[in-house]
Amino acid sequence: MLFNSYEFILLFLPITMIVYFALQRKRLTIVAKCWLLLASLFFYSWWDIKYLPLILCSILFNYAIGGALSEMERTGKRAVSRKNILIFALIANIGLLCWFKYMDFFILTANNVTGSHLPLLRIILPLGISFFTITQIAFLIDAYEGLVKERNLLNYALFVTFYPHLLAGPILHHKDMMPQFDRLKNKVLNWKNLYFGCMLFFFGLFKKVIIADTFTPWATAGFNSLEPLTLVPAWLTSLSYTFQLYFDFSGYSDMAVGIGWMFNISLPINFNSPLKASGMIDFWKRWHISLTNFITTYLYTPILRAFQKITFTTSLVAIFLSMLISGFWHGAGWTYIIWGGLHGVGLVVNHIWKKKKYRMPSFIAWFLTFNYVNVSFVFFRSKTVGGAMHLLAGMAGLNGVMLDKSLEKITFLRNAGLTFGPWLASIEGNDKTWIFSITALLVVVFCKNSAELVARVRPQFHWLMLLLCIAFWSLFEMNKVSEFLYFQF
Amino acid sequence: MLTIDMLESVFREVFDDENISLSRATTANDIDDWDSLTHMNLIIALELRFKIKFALGELQSLKNVGEMQDIINKKLFRN
Repeated sequence: MLFNSYEFILLFLPITMIVYFALQRKRLTIVAKCWLLLASLFFYSWWDIKYLPLILCSILFNYAIGGALSEMERTGKRAVSRKNILIFALIANIGLLCWFKYMDFFILTANNVTGSHLPLLRIILPLGISFFTITQIAFLIDAYEGLVKERNLLNYALFVTFYPHLLAGPILHHKDMMPQFDRLKNKVLNWKNLYFGCMLFFFGLFKKVIIADTFTPWATAGFNSLEPLTLVPAWLTSLSYTFQLYFDFSGYSDMAVGIGWMFNISLPINFNSPLKASGMIDFWKRWHISLTNFITTYLYTPILRAFQKITFTTSLVAIFLSMLISGFWHGAGWTYIIWGGLHGVGLVVNHIWKKKKYRMPSFIAWFLTFNYVNVSFVFFRSKTVGGAMHLLAGMAGLNGVMLDKSLEKITFLRNAGLTFGPWLASIEGNDKTWIFSITALLVVVFCKNSAELVARVRPQFHWLMLLLCIAFWSLFEMNKVSEFLYFQF
Repeated sequence: MLTIDMLESVFREVFDDENISLSRATTANDIDDWDSLTHMNLIIALELRFKIKFALGELQSLKNVGEMQDIINKKLFRN
């Protein structure tokens, strides 16, 4: 079920909430939590019930291992070493992810290297597997290190499956989440939270339905184009995708956090105007923040600790490797690895720059960061490395420059050797394409983000009007099915 | 009992800045040089100074001086 579907907004969300708080009101806390768990599993099974056993087994397995690790620490009884159990469980989780996500990539790579012709398995990626796997890996490591205090299966299952975050994050930490389901004041419907939650939810829906989906056709046409793209459409293709991805994913995250608030559950804010960043370090503090935290804690730190000596150089190597792995986590393909590598290089350069205490005017810093990120997303979106290079060639002007026919009358443009014609036909665009791109650029750079806006919201008439306007506008425009980009990861 | 002053001396050493002054409310956002990289140096320095070991899951909470003080105190007290 999609957040941007009528069945979700008009039926699923209100029904789950009303029943949940009604049960809580009757002091049937456990039943209420069971209801929320069942609702989340129903939400998950809506696409394909085939994968329900998979997520259930994953939860039970990790809960049992986590419990065993905590128990062994408490009692000190050790038939098998705790470390071996942890390693076994990590291999099981990563193995599961490899099987469903990376098998075909490995087979394809093996075929290319050895010249063999092994058939591809064409396994369909179960939704949310990347997310629920890493959430649980963090839980296992924490259990091993003695940080898991709570051992309630219902809370654990609810923490993993709670439907706002299940499919594409924000990536949660058990320590922040599990106690929230038991806090007394969270069990009563809170009108303020409901109001703010609705506000954030509809801001997110607006970002997805009205903004991101407007850019989708142009980005798709550009990236699928078989013709070489000239300068302007090539840039508009890459910018369209950058805006599509940002508004789609941050819109999704806003909706998730908003729904969380409606249930009095606080989920972490995932985006903080990342396209305003004036450096790659700054970018990753603002983009997919919950992933940055996960990578720093559970990837970068262990890699760094594995080095015998912690120096500036080893830190940079650890950063680069972490970003490479993060790229591969996003998808099974060389394009994602290159994307991760580009961000790794960007971060390394930024850290060296910072250490040397070099300075740069903030506009130039922003300009470089924005374009670097924009170019990196060309790899992120392209199906093949060749496809990405193809588009980048267009962006570099190697396929020439074509402008709109109406500009042909301007003498110096005509003399500059440019061609004139249907300049945006190759990306199925029109004047709206460039006007929207410029507007979106101004919005992401100069406007407040949704979390900042919600922080200013008061229970006043004009805010309510704004809420109703964006809600109805989004609902009326929501006539087509359009999945969130991060569901494929 | 670990005091803010004791933390302050570690911070001044790691960030090489004698002007750093801490309160329980100080976070990574308040000190320019406190990023993911220097955070690790800080962690290692704290581990060495107080002869403790942090778990991975604690590292995010340590980006806030108040919580840092509590976590270290808990470890020192337990030992």
